Amino acid sequence: MKIIKEAIAGTLESSDLLVKVAPSHDDTLEIILSSEVIKQFGQQIRRVVDETLQRLGVTAGSIIIEDKGALDCAIRARVQTAVLRGAACTDLNWEHLS
Amino acid sequence: MSGEFDFYTVIPAQAPDEAAEIRQFLAACHLEMDGNIDVFVVARAGRRLIACAGLSTNIIKCVAICEDFRGESLSLQLVSEIVQQAAERDHFHLFLYAKPCNVPFFRGCGFYPLVEVPDYIVLMENSPVAIDRYCDRLRMRREPSDKTGCIVINANPFTLGHRYLAQQAAAACDWLHVFVVSEDASFFPYSDRFKLVSQGLAGIANLTVHHGSEYMISRATFPGYFLKEKGIIDSCHTAIDLLLFREYLAPALGITHRFVGTEPFCPVTKKYNEDMKHWLQRAPSPAPAITVVEVQRTAQDGTPISASEVRRLLASGNFDAIKPLVPATTLQLLISDYAPDTTRRPGIYG
Repeated sequence: MKIIKEAIAGTLESSDLLVKVAPSHDDTLEIILSSEVIKQFGQQIRRVVDETLQRLGVTAGSIIIEDKGALDCAIRARVQTAVLRGAACTDLNWEHLS
Repeated sequence: MSGEFDFYTVIPAQAPDEAAEIRQFLAACHLEMDGNIDVFVVARAGRRLIACAGLSTNIIKCVAICEDFRGESLSLQLVSEIVQQAAERDHFHLFLYAKPCNVPFFRGCGFYPLVEVPDYIVLMENSPVAIDRYCDRLRMRREPSDKTGCIVINANPFTLGHRYLAQQAAAACDWLHVFVVSEDASFFPYSDRFKLVSQGLAGIANLTVHHGSEYMISRATFPGYFLKEKGIIDSCHTAIDLLLFREYLAPALGITHRFVGTEPFCPVTKKYNEDMKHWLQRAPSPAPAITVVEVQRTAQDGTPISASEVRRLLASGNFDAIKPLVPATTLQLLISDYAPDTTRRPGIYG
């Protein structure tokens, strides 16, 4: 899945996260994570984000995340939503989202 | 959204009563109402107005929260709502002006400081890497050069005055970087201004013409520039713009000198030139000082050449008087696309 435009999903409220995606200038994948619980859960959050992007087949783009202590399921859902919006996806393979 | 507070949007132009209430609320928080707000997000507890945040294109302004409700979830909801409003208007790269004391709060909202006018104001953006990536792209266009000059021009439209300035600057430097202001807020659209600059500077070997960006003389860095006709000059905004240049753009390209034409007419540009010497050369900053060089404007029959004069002459279709002020490429475009009787309306994209 290719990110062709900027998009956001989520909020900055407690237990949520704001995900901002944008096309890459040089075809690389850049993930920037800022979290209130980065020390405790930074690695775990990174893993969930990486996995989610991988399942969606995102190999390039800029992904900026402001996490406010969200659970894994919320992280997955927000990342998916932002990517689908940024890819202007209309033909969705729901199985890849589970 | 939690049921504690009611959030909704107010378009000031369509709701004068509510706009007046917001103005009062802001005044109570020692903030001024900005005249260019497209939409406000407001929060109420019952009927009481307790918070607001405004959006002007891609700049968040007029953020205020009633003291009784600070430090609660309300503030994060408020910023989320205004970011959402921006996204619905297709603005994702956002800027925000904040008092230095409020920087930690906005850091928690995903905004990162760019530059600060000490004790006065901080410009923030909603990305920790956007300016670095921009500078990375600039760095790729660096040229081997010891004395490296820079000119930033709006060129509305490009005149022989601009060409003279570039020639003088290029002759005084090893390499010259010319930036064209990219904000589409001028009589001539950016595409035409950029084309005329590129054509008009052809033949000067040691220069690069660059596209402008949001980080230099844009609505975000220097809103006052585009309100020139109203004579509004805001010195803190010239400082923000110039510090961005000194701390990010100039180091990326190795710029050591900034060249500027003397300004006999326009008070905003004149003030900008004066501020330039302060913020680029004298003000304390982690970045090295940049030498400001003022070049005497070239004159035609004793009158300095200015783009505003060309626009005045164009309005009356006086191409004979324009001819000695502009290069052939500019004259050609003015005649073909901007003669007063053509149906094409300038100022619109394209």
